[in-house]
Amino acid sequence: MTEESFGRIMVVDDDVFILAVMEELLEPEGIEVVAAESGDECIAELASGFRGVILMDIMMPRKDGWETIQEMIDRDLMEGNVVAMLTAKDVPDAELEHLKEHVIDYITKPFEADEIVALVKGYLNYLP
Amino acid sequence: MEHSSSLPRDGRTIVVIGSSTGGARTLEIVFSQFPLVDAAVILVQHMPHSMNSALCRHIEEISFMEAGIAEDGEEIEHGRIYVAPSDLHLKLIKNRTISLFDDAKVQYVRPSIDVAMTSLERRESDRFAGVILSGMGSDGAEGIRHIKSIGGTTYAQALRTCAIHYMPRAAFATGRVDEMLPPEGIRENLIRFAGIL
Repeated sequence: MTEESFGRIMVVDDDVFILAVMEELLEPEGIEVVAAESGDECIAELASGFRGVILMDIMMPRKDGWETIQEMIDRDLMEGNVVAMLTAKDVPDAELEHLKEHVIDYITKPFEADEIVALVKGYLNYLP
Repeated sequence: MEHSSSLPRDGRTIVVIGSSTGGARTLEIVFSQFPLVDAAVILVQHMPHSMNSALCRHIEEISFMEAGIAEDGEEIEHGRIYVAPSDLHLKLIKNRTISLFDDAKVQYVRPSIDVAMTSLERRESDRFAGVILSGMGSDGAEGIRHIKSIGGTTYAQALRTCAIHYMPRAAFATGRVDEMLPPEGIRENLIRFAGIL
């Protein structure tokens, strides 16, 4: 569907600085970046048909990253996506273990520019 | 280094790799230019169902091994990677035949690394290695204990190289991990353990 680009990702983060940095880093690599400032925006993009790599911040107001993942599962919007969490916490809470099979990776902020580009390119390989 | 060539013809060398959150990027390094080795590799990666085929395809792209989603009743062969499909447990029957089944999740997951690893049986001519990569929880720790108890070799990913270190840490806590290694070290050790086909 997006054959002209090398891939498509959605960055979900309430920090607009992070969204801008991701666009700056990834778009020159031919990766189309969809920015979502909240879990609700992410769900709306998915409901409109977005499928691809999703980088999901955990700490967001109203609906956090894990709640957004749970809603994706409940609303059948998970299939066809590869999801990695973005977080400032170095380890996730044990009670979220039941969501682990839906999350491919856990990226700790701050991250290096080269690292994030390499990781995203890696996740694109795992799209159906 | 040439263990496998001196084994009886019916012996199998079986490597079971357990991987969860953060493990995919480790696999990228482990299987990069990975040669055709004289072992059957069972890969249990916790992942969404829609990733199963892509993971197999990608491993084939970056390695010299054949990779496919494991099928029920399939006889394992050396030189192949068998990826456990999401939503089913995988075990080996008599170290030879793949069995997929739909039991309850173990530690929140299906397939469970423990289920796959603990299905291995001590047999004179068979050799085993168990590997635990990055992930949440403690799946694989019992499996590592079992593989060691039947004479296998065990590795876990060095904690500082993990996106999430809980799984390798739990494996290490059993006292049955031979070596904690970075992804490159796991790659080298597996190649040495299995030998080139």
